[in-house]
Amino acid sequence: MTGPLPGGSAGSAGSADSAGSAGLADSAGDNVAGWHRLHPLSPVVRAGRRLLSIVIAVVALFLLNQHQEGGALVGDLVVVTLALVGGVVSWLVTRWQVADGVLRIETGLVRRQSLRFPLSQVQAIDVVQSGLARVLGLAEIQLRMAGADSSGGRLACLSRADAEQLRRRLLSMTRAPAVATVALPDAASPAGEPVGAQETERLLFRVRPGRLAGAIALSRAGAFAAIVIIAMALVAALTGQPGIVASFLPFGIGIVLAVWRQFNGEFGTTVAAAPDGLRLRSGLVQTTAETIRPGRVQGVRLVEPLVWRAFGWCRLEVDVAGPRQRREDRSESQRLRALIPVGSRAEAEQMLGELLSARPAPSRRPPRSARWKAPLTYHFLAWGGDDRYVVASRGRVCRKTTWVPLEKVQSIRWLQGPFQRRLGLASVRLDVAGKRVTASIQDRDAAEAQEILGRLPVLARDARIRAA
Amino acid sequence: MSIAEPGSPPAEPGDADVVWQRPSPLLLRARRIQTVLVTVPVALAGGLAGMAGSAPLGIGLGFGLVLVGLVWERFLARRVAAWGYAERNQDLMVRRGVLIRRQSVIPYGRMQFIDVTAGPVERSLGLATVRMHTAAAASDARIPGLDRAEAAKLRDQLASLGEAQAAGL
Repeated sequence: MTGPLPGGSAGSAGSADSAGSAGLADSAGDNVAGWHRLHPLSPVVRAGRRLLSIVIAVVALFLLNQHQEGGALVGDLVVVTLALVGGVVSWLVTRWQVADGVLRIETGLVRRQSLRFPLSQVQAIDVVQSGLARVLGLAEIQLRMAGADSSGGRLACLSRADAEQLRRRLLSMTRAPAVATVALPDAASPAGEPVGAQETERLLFRVRPGRLAGAIALSRAGAFAAIVIIAMALVAALTGQPGIVASFLPFGIGIVLAVWRQFNGEFGTTVAAAPDGLRLRSGLVQTTAETIRPGRVQGVRLVEPLVWRAFGWCRLEVDVAGPRQRREDRSESQRLRALIPVGSRAEAEQMLGELLSARPAPSRRPPRSARWKAPLTYHFLAWGGDDRYVVASRGRVCRKTTWVPLEKVQSIRWLQGPFQRRLGLASVRLDVAGKRVTASIQDRDAAEAQEILGRLPVLARDARIRAA
Repeated sequence: MSIAEPGSPPAEPGDADVVWQRPSPLLLRARRIQTVLVTVPVALAGGLAGMAGSAPLGIGLGFGLVLVGLVWERFLARRVAAWGYAERNQDLMVRRGVLIRRQSVIPYGRMQFIDVTAGPVERSLGLATVRMHTAAAASDARIPGLDRAEAAKLRDQLASLGEAQAAGL
């Protein structure tokens, strides 16, 4: 299988192994133009769950088939072997390099890919560890670029220490001005500070496990899961036939899994301020470490669901341009990155102060006539703004307050529906990069909306110029 | 601004200092053709499907669908007349819509790319649609029914303005 390897330098596993561990140490100091390989155990991690399930299946088959002929077993062994060989081959043909402010990844045996990631345009760098990777001491590096659909760079996997070191090194190379000019990749600073430089982290927030569990139980997903479980138990108890429930079991398991995934993903969230941005770590089984670079936050949202408000809890989310990292996770991908999965108002205020200095409060109330258009949401409907941020809040059951830096505004939309026209109202929306954040200045007096539409483009332009 | 304005929308924000440009008058014809192209097959299919039940039902359904097409046509003129765009110093303004009126402001520096498309009907009339894309998925700015040469000119103009004022994310 090793015959047709393209560019087959360091073809054998032995030499690649030493290159993988020693290569980084060489390159830590300066830009060594050498190519590196991933960690030799990475095929195991990448195959991950699939491999595990195959192994379990094979073992089960083996136990069951003990007394029978091994025909089926041979077939399974072939499958396992093929999967492993595929993983090893993909590992063999994958190599990466950091040079001239660009991360290059070459991969693929049949469909050869050469990927270039200009580091000056990286939005965020994450270190992700799945459960299996943690056991093996490996970690994956993910680069997030601004494109909303193109996937970012992915290095799976490196040893944990190497991954940390590489992340730090890449970050030091990405440290362009807060707003990098898209047209000028060479504006990126040269490989700046030495990697070993003392890193000072200031802890900003740590989620309390108990509160997180409570908050998820009191959230929509948690309540839904509880209702389903109780309903199932009731049905089973009332009919006296647990068999009826069995057919709905996959459904129930799916819901429980979704809740578990949220808990797993947000458990132990810590946010710390470091020179290179906000450090975000979270995860129970699979851990994620993410660095949000300063000036990359497109929008901040404070979410206060009805039940949480009774406890004084809230959730603080930020949006960074680019796709969500875990795309297979639907429910997760709908939401933004939570800096505070659940916290008190005071904690949220502190974090907000960290993210947005001297932010405006949503203080301007809509006119009374808006009550007819939005009888429920009128309660929290408000907006505010200064020459740097615009804030808009809305929602009745779930209050959402969104801050958008004016320098990040991509487009401004004015709109007026038929009801609004009759009531003399109009809305103005501010879009920022990404799919999910829009500050909606909802249901204002038509004259005021007109004034906002006239003034905001100018303010946004000034903010952009100031930031540049 | 050369064409007559049958249902020109009333004054809107920023109208005072903005010179609105309009799509080609041919856009109305393109929309009419599109409406006919959709209505006729749908009415036929609906009528035939109704025939399977009973003859009066089929005829009624067919005529009903044609009627829907005619009503739609009634609004076309106003919808087409509502389109407008204005090139200002720093940004492009696009307005549209009758029932829900919208106006978008897109700074030139925020345009990621611009594309010019033309469907079969538009192409046969020598029209094209210019669409501006920003990094935000929500911002929608397109100008349909431009004369093809004008569309190309606008695209180049916007592209060069965008390049000159480009800003990072």
